[in-house]
Amino acid sequence: MTSLHTRLFGLLASSWGVALIYFYYSTRIKKYLAPDFHHLIMIGGVGMLILGVYSIINPQEKKASCGHDHSHDHDHHACDHDHDHDHGSHSDCGECDHDHADGHGPFATILLTIVPLAIAMNFTEDKLSNAGLSKKGLYEAPSLTNEADIPPFTREDLEKNVPRNEHGEFELRMITAYYAAGDREIQDIFDGLPIELEGRVAPEKINNEAGDRMRIFRSIITCCGADLQVVGVSMEFPEGVTRPADEDWIKAGGTLTFETINGNILPLLKIREVTAAEEPYSEFRLRQ
Amino acid sequence: MPAAPFPASLPEVTEQTRDQLADGSYEFLSIFLEGLPFIFLGTLVSGFLGTYLPRGAFEKFLPKNRTLSIMVSGLLGAVFPVCECAVVPVIRRLVKNGLPASCAVAYMLAAPIFNPVTAISTYKAFNNSHEIAISRIAMGYIIAVIIALIVSRIAHDLFLKASARKDKDHEHHHPRNLNSALNNSLRDFMDVGLYFCIGVVLTAILKTTVIDPTDDFWKGLAQNSILGGAGMMILAFVLSLCSTSDAFIAANFTNFKYGPKLAFMVFGPMMDAKLIFLYSTVFKWKFILFLFVAIFIFTGALSILFETQILPIWMNQNTELPLTP
Repeated sequence: MTSLHTRLFGLLASSWGVALIYFYYSTRIKKYLAPDFHHLIMIGGVGMLILGVYSIINPQEKKASCGHDHSHDHDHHACDHDHDHDHGSHSDCGECDHDHADGHGPFATILLTIVPLAIAMNFTEDKLSNAGLSKKGLYEAPSLTNEADIPPFTREDLEKNVPRNEHGEFELRMITAYYAAGDREIQDIFDGLPIELEGRVAPEKINNEAGDRMRIFRSIITCCGADLQVVGVSMEFPEGVTRPADEDWIKAGGTLTFETINGNILPLLKIREVTAAEEPYSEFRLRQ
Repeated sequence: MPAAPFPASLPEVTEQTRDQLADGSYEFLSIFLEGLPFIFLGTLVSGFLGTYLPRGAFEKFLPKNRTLSIMVSGLLGAVFPVCECAVVPVIRRLVKNGLPASCAVAYMLAAPIFNPVTAISTYKAFNNSHEIAISRIAMGYIIAVIIALIVSRIAHDLFLKASARKDKDHEHHHPRNLNSALNNSLRDFMDVGLYFCIGVVLTAILKTTVIDPTDDFWKGLAQNSILGGAGMMILAFVLSLCSTSDAFIAANFTNFKYGPKLAFMVFGPMMDAKLIFLYSTVFKWKFILFLFVAIFIFTGALSILFETQILPIWMNQNTELPLTP
């Protein structure tokens, strides 16, 4: 690498580092990664910045005593033969600081990495569209299995462990209400139960011919948005109850019931009241 | 707040295109932001290994017997747990420093699965099922060792890129100092970061335009062990999930049987859309194609074997494995 190349690579590493630090300090990172990863982004960003700045200030260059590259990578031409060169005697080789692996130059690397990053940062809305959420399961029914992450559960457990709001409604986690539809025993406990759910609002696309339904959902991620999954519960609004707008963050109180649509059992919350709620720092972290 | 995604002067852009671009950007940033620090960590390690690790150090550490050394390398993930993104720059440097390429392949393929973090997440995702966690780890390890044994019979020239081969012909003296280590790290970071970025772009495009795991096509594959396994491996390839979190996704494909779910969890950490570009920093493209086919066949075969031979035994023993569907 020439010193110019090293400096350009250092600049690129710094840019990546700044991007990571920006996402951390702007708190936009909470829309993309699970909370456990946030500090890692900050540490990684600072590390990249340090490496980049160090390389800009202190670029290394091939020393005159070693004027050749020892290994050239030509196999991107998709030919079968080996292009390695024999450089003969290396007796004139002194100490050299350079790396012998020749990759792509800095201009190609900058172009192919900064352009997609800039495009993504410009066009992202820090969330998925309704179509994107649908692919993550927004309108999917839980299957009738015992895989749902619900331990053996009785009405006594419910009374003991789940707090109630001032209206006496159980402040149930969305994931619990959703997966209850996949477990007949828990359905028996939850059917007709007064509950309150907290989450974001989406339009309803299932069994909504009368137009009296909306959907409340939560997103769950383990690491990042790539593994995001959505669990949602349909809300049915009686006349006279104020409806939230799409994307609102709400608490929805009402009665939990279950309905069978196309052979799938789905949870349905018959709304008593909807109130606006403050969006949590990370919507991926479930309260309670 | 992010900039407004589209100015009003682009009326021809449909809502679907706008959503796809916004969703693709979200998917890209999610993987990029999560993966880049691990790539950086991996290249820091590789840079320092390249500078300070004496050549041939692994020859002293690993067993002399080729098969044994491959089997031991496949276990290293338990001691040096790394994800599939970070492991590539590390093995790239280790091979240059004299680690046999077959051992590097065993470590590279097994480490993302054969490590404690992945084991615990699989155990938790499948309702505290140690059977599934053990099956996943065992399957990943077996496939990694088999492929590494095949690789050990292939001449390095045929699958390693020239830039990744051991520098055995010119042992001139590299300074062992911080300067050299950071220079190596920067170079590795740029090489691997470039291919990582290209892979993430491809993944984001596929996820937002081609693949919809909730559509009827994927659901239709669920009841067939062979097609289901193949479908789940293709899905794992496209989704490009981290091996530490993919079990939670697999567990929620509740229509699919356990064999295809295992195929998903074993194939994905070894081969996905972003990994092929990372692998291209070490291996020739023909070898990557061979890897893809070999992993696909071995994973598919073992997942069918699991579904038809092992699972029924567990069912008969009445274990606490959640046995539906």
